[in-house]
Amino acid sequence: MGQRVAIIGAGMTKFVRRAQETGKELAWQAAKAALDSCGLTLKDIDCISMGCAPDAFDGVHMKGEYLSDGSGGWRKPYMRHFVGGGTGVFAPIHGWFHVASGVFDTCLVVCSEKMSSCHPHPQGAFKTIFDHTTEQPLNPTLIWIFALEYNRYMQTYGISKRDIALVSVKNKKNAIDHPAAHLPMEITVDDVLNSELLAWPVNRLDISPASDGAAAIVLAGERTARRLTDKPVWIEGVGWNLDTAYWATRDLAYPRYVEKAARMAYEMAGIKEPKKEIEIAEPYDPFTYKELHHMEGLLLAEKGEAPQLLVDGVTQRDGDRPICPSGGLLGVGNPISAAGLMKVIEIFLQLRGEAGKRQVPGNPTCGLAQAWGDLMQIGTVIVLKNR
Amino acid sequence: MALSERIERNVDLSYFEGKIPVNYVYTYGLGLENFFRSIKEKGEFLASKCPECETTYFPCKVFCERCFAEITNNYKVPGTGIVESFTVCHLNMDGSKKETPAVVGLIRIDGAEDCVFVHFLDISPEKAKIGMKVKPLLKRKQDRDGSIFDIVGFKPM
Ligand SMILES: [Zn+2]
Repeated sequence: MGQRVAIIGAGMTKFVRRAQETGKELAWQAAKAALDSCGLTLKDIDCISMGCAPDAFDGVHMKGEYLSDGSGGWRKPYMRHFVGGGTGVFAPIHGWFHVASGVFDTCLVVCSEKMSSCHPHPQGAFKTIFDHTTEQPLNPTLIWIFALEYNRYMQTYGISKRDIALVSVKNKKNAIDHPAAHLPMEITVDDVLNSELLAWPVNRLDISPASDGAAAIVLAGERTARRLTDKPVWIEGVGWNLDTAYWATRDLAYPRYVEKAARMAYEMAGIKEPKKEIEIAEPYDPFTYKELHHMEGLLLAEKGEAPQLLVDGVTQRDGDRPICPSGGLLGVGNPISAAGLMKVIEIFLQLRGEAGKRQVPGNPTCGLAQAWGDLMQIGTVIVLKNR
Repeated sequence: MALSERIERNVDLSYFEGKIPVNYVYTYGLGLENFFRSIKEKGEFLASKCPECETTYFPCKVFCERCFAEITNNYKVPGTGIVESFTVCHLNMDGSKKETPAVVGLIRIDGAEDCVFVHFLDISPEKAKIGMKVKPLLKRKQDRDGSIFDIVGFKPM
């Protein structure tokens, strides 16, 4: 490996239902905030890594190019990448390539998403991710995939909707302490179960909101990082993995691709016992059951046992292993790529002891963020440590 | 971390309308052309098996995603299968309420067990069950047009 890489700064916009700002203005706000947070200017940045979701969401084709000015791309090595919902956690991995290789010393990683331009909402854009001959004619919505997986997960392990609904209660409550949150709420399990039924077993409050927003981080090689900050947070392991292109045929009860991505990251980070060593985690939670599903794929819980940890309070912010202390996508919101990077930023802040009211007790030293996407069969994982 | 604070105005933003003006003509491709032609003309379902790793595919394919081998032989399967999972959809694409909820199933196909196929289930929502056996319901021959809707859906056996 060329050099060790640290996150040295972070910034984000508030996540909202409909922002007045354009996607590039959101990108600029987050990027500028990230640079300000570590006392750098665009001149100090060697290259840009930009992550964003399908072009159809913004209704701007070649969106990476469109967002380049707001992302700081002017006359710099600039590259846009995209792995669907997995993009936000792939973003720091992509930036890490640039710096770890030794080719660059600093990299600005920016994720920006404006979901609200899609009218009335993005389901039409989601429809065209499905096979055009065998699936699109059925008018599938994205919720189908989740409902089918959710049902299979419950059936396989005998899990109740009531237990799964607790994820929404926990995360929306955690989000009350997040200044960028779109949907912070104090709710009960019954509120979730009684909310509008969209596609059984998925109710309205099982789903994260579509949001507008942006997030950014600054990466630096070891020597530069140590010069610029007393509290670098190191990227110690990265992993990503893709399952079958035929989404319906993957194992619905267990995300094998997440396990493979996690094992790649753990090996790189020297983590042998994830349940002991990963003290805090931000698994991807666009839907309630996904937080649990992903904890199992990440080897943070045995198969089918994540719901019990939730019920026992282990995953609360003050529990033994806090999960989604940020409030997650369910609470903070879901501007696709920016939501994943928000999770990375949460672990960065927690490991620096700078998460304010959200700070978990016990001075954690090692944490993880994970996202999920493409045709719901990619896992992206990053392991961070503060020493 | 720095957080950019800004005023949120959700209701009175000015806007203009736009769209991406593109239409598409998709080809079926080498694999699906055979699959749909066989249903249209003979009412028969084609699957394929990788000659190297024996992974099965339904609908039939011309290459294996696992080992990259070319697949040149298809074989007939009855089209029956087991419901792997299902959902009951209450909303249309535009978010409006459906008059009748639609039951969508994932069906593990007999004779091509590595594959799960997505289609409507012709069953009332309360009767749908994971693990139930189903069979395809075809349009009458003279009504078939070679599309996915030549299969109306799957119904319990
Ligand atoms: Zn093969």
